[in-house]
Amino acid sequence: MGCCDVKNDPKISNKKGLKIVALAGNPNVGKTTIFNALTGLRQHVGNWPGVTVEKKEGIMKYKGREFLVVDLPGTYSLTAHSIDELIARNFILDGNADVVVDIADSSCLMRNLFLTMEILEMGVKNVVIALNKIDLAKKKGVKFDIRKMEKVLGVPVIPTNAKSGEGLDELKKAIVAMIDGKITTNPVIPVYEEPIEREIEHISKLLTGTVLIERYNLRWLAIKLLERDEEVIKLVLNHLGHGKMDEILQHISELEQYYKRSLDIVIANQKYEFIDNLIHQFVIHQGEFKETLNDQVDRILTHPVYGFLSLAAVFYALFKFVFTFGTPMQEHLDALFSNLGEAIAPYIANEMVRGLVVDGIIGGVGAVLSFFPLVFLLFIGMAILEDTGYMARAAVVMERVMRKFGLPGKSFIPMVLAFGCNVPAVMATRALDDERDRIITMLINPLVPCSARMVVITFLAGAFFQEHKALIAVGIYMISILLALLSALLIGKFIIKGEESPFVIELPDYLIPSWKTVIIHSWERSKEFLRKAGTVILFGAILIWYLSNYPVPVGSGLSYAEKLGKALEPFSMLMGLDWKAAVSLIFGIIAKENVIATYGILYGVEEGEQALAILMRNAMTPLQAFTLALVTTLYLPCIATIGAIRAEGGNKWALVAVVYNLALASIIGILVYHLGFFLL
Amino acid sequence: MVMYVRLTQMREGEKGVVVDIRGGPGIRQRLLGIGITPGTKIWVIKAGRPGPYIIAIGNMRLAIGHGAADKIIIRREA
Repeated sequence: MGCCDVKNDPKISNKKGLKIVALAGNPNVGKTTIFNALTGLRQHVGNWPGVTVEKKEGIMKYKGREFLVVDLPGTYSLTAHSIDELIARNFILDGNADVVVDIADSSCLMRNLFLTMEILEMGVKNVVIALNKIDLAKKKGVKFDIRKMEKVLGVPVIPTNAKSGEGLDELKKAIVAMIDGKITTNPVIPVYEEPIEREIEHISKLLTGTVLIERYNLRWLAIKLLERDEEVIKLVLNHLGHGKMDEILQHISELEQYYKRSLDIVIANQKYEFIDNLIHQFVIHQGEFKETLNDQVDRILTHPVYGFLSLAAVFYALFKFVFTFGTPMQEHLDALFSNLGEAIAPYIANEMVRGLVVDGIIGGVGAVLSFFPLVFLLFIGMAILEDTGYMARAAVVMERVMRKFGLPGKSFIPMVLAFGCNVPAVMATRALDDERDRIITMLINPLVPCSARMVVITFLAGAFFQEHKALIAVGIYMISILLALLSALLIGKFIIKGEESPFVIELPDYLIPSWKTVIIHSWERSKEFLRKAGTVILFGAILIWYLSNYPVPVGSGLSYAEKLGKALEPFSMLMGLDWKAAVSLIFGIIAKENVIATYGILYGVEEGEQALAILMRNAMTPLQAFTLALVTTLYLPCIATIGAIRAEGGNKWALVAVVYNLALASIIGILVYHLGFFLL
Repeated sequence: MVMYVRLTQMREGEKGVVVDIRGGPGIRQRLLGIGITPGTKIWVIKAGRPGPYIIAIGNMRLAIGHGAADKIIIRREA
């Protein structure tokens, strides 16, 4: 349907023409665990083309044969209102899948079968239902007659418990048998009340004369038209023309008047009634409403006071986990690569090649790899929060606060992590459910000062504002956080418009995570980070190495970097910053702590912050230093963060982040300098 | 006692049946998809401004923000 053509990722290609197995299902049904069980380590995590929605692919082996498994985004339905649902829907609709495995949570069957019905209604015949979390259903007192269920639904039903591995062999067997054409299905299709059915028939007849009949199930198109599905209206309009379309719309309006409400409500309602009737035929005993331990825990964890306290504790733990373990590993990797560079250097005679290899390439690769531990640990932490079910509760607690800035509660997570490092923080935007929210959160993230910028802020505050250094440092933090939140409002209003997503979130039962899933998934996600962000970081490292060493090394006043700084001076002087500041800021793009180190080189200070502080105090006013600290905090995200934004959002949003941050830093820098000059 | 109320007017422990969903197609589709349709029996687990509200539908628990909860019309059951 045009919107999201599904291309195969270059990493796992389908050159062999493997048969494709698509996994569909609601969020929190254990889809990832089943995906891992089917594919093992032969998998690859990427993004769907052009969007920030995660795409997982893997190879399933069965009796020496290989199949390509594609994990579709977890969705509750298949409307055109969210990018996730459109991706899943178009993938199925375009006939990409040889078999669709619909994974349903057996402890919550009513709602899960809604998606099943949406899939079957598309006219898909090759569907296998994995009735997952069968252990949980038993615990809740729900019993199934599987034979009856298969008969009623008309497709194979395999009870599974993905975590223990129960039923997975049977699932594989059913999938393969279906691909081999050994299973014939007779899927049940929801039936609606007479007035709706009459209209479906009427519209289907009008559509019969078009080429649509070759590609789509006409009944499905008719139902989606009744629901006023925007994508389907566009599609049908192209093939039917305005005359007949107006006639259809007229009929729809009449039907809406008859029911006195939108037909999407009526159809959903009748679909649920239909499902309810089906369920009664094969569910022997249904659990009843009763308050559980889960509910009592939820009251505490979503409480306005205790909820915040527990959230603070959990995030403190996450922060500690990522940075306490990650930072030493990062430093070790850094040291390892610089030792490697030193070890190799004597063996390269050509000075230029030596510089390129040692400082450019080894330094660059080291920079890329040194972020790997942070990103990997973050993904583990996040997977644990998600799989235990806590993430949903954190979203509830922060919802009210973040919503004031047009963001959902979950966007709090990347904001907090950013104080440590923006790279894992940008990667953490994956936890957000809505594409629009994801991009906004990603774009404002670099404005939250990371630990590298803390080094710059505290150095300048200490050197220039001895008595009020804490106040000045906190002030800069406050200004940048405020700017981040205001930017969220601004970007949401003017750059990425769109409906704010309504806050409705499932609170899954608290569970112990499947460790295998947590680790495999985090590993694959981190590898994707290396692949996508790595090229940007490496390229940046080589570029800066070149600028600072040619035609002569920096410090002489004649390197390209210094020339560039001098060329930029007329502009930076608007903020009261001379060419030395401009050069330092250029080097800060590699890593923000470089801003101070570069000043050291430019002033020829070999050792000691104290000496540098004195020299800088003689050359700059406190106002200039304050502006420099603020601009360092706000301007261009460091190269690794740009790489992370590119990995998550693509080139377009990486560019937007760069331009937005530069513009914001310039405006604020000029404003603060002039205002300060005027006031002081 | 008023029979028809918004979800935001329900109190903790009360039960009811969804009778209508107001609001635009985006919010409607989201609520319908996740299982809140007219006829659905709900049970309020956590209520009170400013939300989010927590309701039970069968074995499922949903947290709903104030904005969305205000669009859900409920028939209270004693």
